[in-house]
Amino acid sequence: MARWGMVINLNRCIGCYACMLACKQEHFLPPDIFWGRVLIGESGKYPAVTKQIYPVLCNHCAEAACVDACPTGATSKREDGIVIIDYDKCVGCRYCMMACPYQQRSFYTNGKKEYFPKQGLTELEVIGKQLYPFQEGTVVKCNFCVERIDASLKRGLKPGIDREATPACVIACPSKARYFGDLEDPTSEVSRLISEKKAFQLHPEFGTNPSVYYITR
Amino acid sequence: MKPYEWMTTYTPQQEWIEKRGIFMPLAFYFGSLGGGLYLVSLYFDSLLGMFIAWLIVGGLKGGSHLIDLGRPFRSWRMVFRPQSSWISRGLILVILFLGLVPVQLFFSYFFPGTIWESIFKVLAGLAALGTCAYPGFTLNYVNAIPLWNSAVLPILFIACGFLGGIALLLVAGVLGGNVDLTMIEFGSLVLLIITVMLIIVYTWCASHAGPSGGKALKEILKGRSSPIFWLGVVLVGIIMPFTFIALGYNGMHVSKLLLLSGALGEIICGLSLTYAILRSGAYSPLIPLSPDKL
Repeated sequence: MARWGMVINLNRCIGCYACMLACKQEHFLPPDIFWGRVLIGESGKYPAVTKQIYPVLCNHCAEAACVDACPTGATSKREDGIVIIDYDKCVGCRYCMMACPYQQRSFYTNGKKEYFPKQGLTELEVIGKQLYPFQEGTVVKCNFCVERIDASLKRGLKPGIDREATPACVIACPSKARYFGDLEDPTSEVSRLISEKKAFQLHPEFGTNPSVYYITR
Repeated sequence: MKPYEWMTTYTPQQEWIEKRGIFMPLAFYFGSLGGGLYLVSLYFDSLLGMFIAWLIVGGLKGGSHLIDLGRPFRSWRMVFRPQSSWISRGLILVILFLGLVPVQLFFSYFFPGTIWESIFKVLAGLAALGTCAYPGFTLNYVNAIPLWNSAVLPILFIACGFLGGIALLLVAGVLGGNVDLTMIEFGSLVLLIITVMLIIVYTWCASHAGPSGGKALKEILKGRSSPIFWLGVVLVGIIMPFTFIALGYNGMHVSKLLLLSGALGEIICGLSLTYAILRSGAYSPLIPLSPDKL
């Protein structure tokens, strides 16, 4: 069985936020909700300062703390490793948000907030609320564009190779800093990059075994 | 915190302390308070105390949790994952407590001294202990927040629960209730000492829980949560009640008002401590920090 994962090349990432916006557009995310983010920080002291740009998203951990924490079973891990939320079961306790070491979950509270206040919803927002009817009072997060993956697999397309089967953030990246594929397939590009480029995970000490890796070469 | 600082520096948790999340420390404390009051009332054989404990857990704790939830009408689903979720386990313990206590009170009132009274006292007592302790385990599970990931935390919550419970019994005693005031005063003093020792151990453990733990501890001792800690926990919660109750226990005349103030201080101690711990919980940054940001 495939286990979907992502590799992000930090040397190629230019901090353009295209991935963040592509995700927002793909899922018609409401205002103040971000499933992917780009963190920008500094390390070192003048004159030896390094700027760091880290695109972050749900790591779809193999040992996800959020899955164990969820009291209703709304958060679950599929066989292919993607951690999803069943919004009909989520009770909004936010224990998963506490448990996540990467803080990649959002609590959706204000369903009435508009991108253009007092001007009503745009056509895009109306379509978005029909296609992705997020429920107020529930927790939402990145799902590796699972709808694209599921729909494309039925058509025989390959996630990570065919555009239609690949998450929006990976396709949107102008510098090709993101790679997506099957971590269980040693011949996949992600597996090759992880082994050849000495990829690392964020906060491995928490024992979550994330499916998102970072490389710096 | 500026938006660009989010998860690039130590980021305090917000969901269980801000906006509707303020009801989480309240719910946790009311659970500990109710469980502690029940157990103390079992010891002092106070049926009124047991009943009030039941009301606190069912009304105050339950109500606080329901207000906090995003979808409270789905709360019945929360019992389905006790194999992994501490919130599931806690809810089951609370439901058991709420179910067993009325039965125990029935037997204690109408059939005192029977084997059934003893059985239900034991069962309800175990559920009360679980109700007291599970908030500590719920927080302890979150290893992403080193301040919370401490084995001392459940014991601290139990101690705060007992302290608050005995404080409420002290109130009952001062107002003329049928309880042994001298024993309650003695118990208060002992529990205050135990709580102080546990707080010292907890803060010592937090200081050795890595940079995030140290940073969170600084928040409690010197940062945003320091007024709550030093005023609510230390001054009003420990020093004031210890002084008043010790004077009363040693035979000096202490007015009822001062004793009641001491009891209220003990309740404020637990509540303030729970609030300070939840408010100060912080996540480690996702990217390597520069030293001036530590």
